[in-house]
Amino acid sequence: MTQHDADGSVPALRTDRLGRRYGKVWGLRDCTLEVPAGAVAALVGPNAAGKTTLLEMIIGLLEPTEGQVSVFGQTSRADTAETLARVGYVAQDHPLYRDFTVADMFHLGRAMNPSWDQELAAARVDALGIPLQRKVRRLSGGQRAQVSLAMALAKRAPLLVLDEPVSSLDPVARLEFMRDVMASAADAALTFLISSHVVSELERFCDWLIVLSHGHVQLAGPADDLLAAHRLLTVPRATPDAELPGTAIHRTDSDRHSTVLVRAGADQLAAQGRPGWQADPVSFEQLVMAYLQRPTTVTTHDDPAPAAERPGPNTKAVPR
Amino acid sequence: MFRFRLDGSSGVPPYLQLVHQVRQSLLLGYLREGDRLPTVKDVAADLVINPNTVVKAYRQLEHERLAGGRPGQGTFITATATPVAPEAQQDLRASLEAWLRAADEAGLDDEAVTALIAVARQDLKKERVP
Amino acid sequence: MIWVTWRQHRGQAIACLALLAALAVYAIIESTSMRTAFSNDDLAACLARSQGTGCPAAVDAFMNKFGSEVNIAFWSVALIVPGLIGVLVGGSLIARELEYGTWRLAWSQTVPRSRWLAVKLALVTGGLIVLGAAMTAVITWYRAPMDRLTGHFLHNIYDFEGLVLTAYILCAFGFAVLAGLLIRRSIPAMVAAFIPWLAIRLVVEFVLRPHFMTPLTIQGNCGPPNGCGYGIGTVPQATGRIGDWVLSINGNTITYQPADRFWPFQFIEAGIFVALTAAALGATVWLLHRRAAWTA
Repeated sequence: MTQHDADGSVPALRTDRLGRRYGKVWGLRDCTLEVPAGAVAALVGPNAAGKTTLLEMIIGLLEPTEGQVSVFGQTSRADTAETLARVGYVAQDHPLYRDFTVADMFHLGRAMNPSWDQELAAARVDALGIPLQRKVRRLSGGQRAQVSLAMALAKRAPLLVLDEPVSSLDPVARLEFMRDVMASAADAALTFLISSHVVSELERFCDWLIVLSHGHVQLAGPADDLLAAHRLLTVPRATPDAELPGTAIHRTDSDRHSTVLVRAGADQLAAQGRPGWQADPVSFEQLVMAYLQRPTTVTTHDDPAPAAERPGPNTKAVPR
Repeated sequence: MFRFRLDGSSGVPPYLQLVHQVRQSLLLGYLREGDRLPTVKDVAADLVINPNTVVKAYRQLEHERLAGGRPGQGTFITATATPVAPEAQQDLRASLEAWLRAADEAGLDDEAVTALIAVARQDLKKERVP
Repeated sequence: MIWVTWRQHRGQAIACLALLAALAVYAIIESTSMRTAFSNDDLAACLARSQGTGCPAAVDAFMNKFGSEVNIAFWSVALIVPGLIGVLVGGSLIARELEYGTWRLAWSQTVPRSRWLAVKLALVTGGLIVLGAAMTAVITWYRAPMDRLTGHFLHNIYDFEGLVLTAYILCAFGFAVLAGLLIRRSIPAMVAAFIPWLAIRLVVEFVLRPHFMTPLTIQGNCGPPNGCGYGIGTVPQATGRIGDWVLSINGNTITYQPADRFWPFQFIEAGIFVALTAAALGATVWLLHRRAAWTA
């Protein structure tokens, strides 16, 4: 069964009310999102937000408790060869077998993946000056990350999931790694889903944004559209949220004024604006931080059809 | 090869920065009709930015008829923007500097100068429209 | 997947081969003098004729010269070494992947984890069977002259010959693989597997083994001057036959297991340990398949 986007193309990734429970605790709940083919999507959230849980279900390493995942229209079933073949994966801290050589790692890739492209893997490490016969434990952190990326790319899967790929790297290694990711995205029209807990610098890499916190999707959609749909309002302190246009996402109160990040269309702002109010565009970082700091678990879905936004059920993500 | 640059702190979206740089370079004569712009992959790798951003910038340039893609060959500058002749540029620059000094002495700060220019421009445009 | 298993267990395989080689070298060197002494003293003919009663001096001399080394030193080794081999190989098989996070790499390739585990277990188990068989063969060959005096039903000797050595290794391996999955750390898994393995090993050997089949009794002449002896230093056993396993002597009543029950007993005991191995490995495969949810 293949599901199509409004414009007829198959989304690279689609999750439908995905959830995962560990004992009595829901690590992730009611997660519905979509990533179009060819996008570079960022999955942002604090460390216990459920990012890794979500990614593992997308890859096929973890079975959902409820809901489902589909990759390029094909429904995923955890731990089956068909599902595992569709997603390339670089786990956090880039695990490799320490006493293997780089050549051994590629041999493993070849043995365990029918779609393995040995030439691609070898060419990548060659271009980076990493010798095939070097043991993994003698590689630098940046080199290990590059070998992991080469393995994920050589699998020739159309969707690549990178779990915090640069958080353990020094700034130079970080830049070089992302340079390769950007070049690969341009080259092969791959779809990337990159998780991060560092928000600054995301803007240049991603064109699709997913904000996850407290086990729920807080925000999801095309980065540019989301930025355009939010404003930073400066209003008198006494102004209640109800009087503000759109939905108030995050509010900071000072003595005489408040700064409120709202989700509102241009017409709403025009209609409800007041003299003495100021509306400024929102930066990427401000947008993400506002949603991360949002106290409730009301979810706002970015539906492909421009319907009015609907708050999700007020479910709790903490144990009874 | 033409190389772009990115100003991470400017607050201007990356794709617009790329478009501006092409426009500016056309005006200053650094880019001419027929010049080939770098490939999407080259720009994405060079600046370490999302290739879709570059695609968006190039599409905007096409929309503004400044550049166009030739299938299989790349993106080329199509506009013949009348570049400002160097002497005219220098004259304009000199009178601009004089004006800025005068504005500074009159007590206008950066924001006031920008606002003044914006207002003056608006008025001029109104004048031109028949 | 076959190459992957080989490459990941290559170090262990080489260590096992080295162990086997060392054992073989030791056996070859030490057995020369033993075999020479055996033929020089013409013990073979005496044993065939009289079960050793006809040449007590020669028997005593031989036992004194080679007994401690061949009989006693081996026993503690018999108790520990198969268990150690099993837990060292098995403890890290799954646990190492979980410990170091490489399960995220191993199980996200295009091979479902059940298949990953099945191939690994099949190949490593096969390797351990070959190792066990080879060790048994070397030790049996080495002990051959001494076995002509003591038989191979007695405690120390029985544990090395026949099938049980391999079965002990497999059982320790099975326990360790399961422990590794549950505990997720290699060394604790090895310890957690070794202890029950050792306990079962001792219980089976000392409590169950004497009664695999109902022991026979025979009336002997156990008064003075000679009395009735049993145990590994006695040639022949109180039943008058080499190779019997005397369990106890009560006055003149000798309770024993006859020598021809050696192989049935081997099959029974090996069967117990192989069944435990199968249960442990089966539980491991089932658990891994069912619980597709792992945190580091």
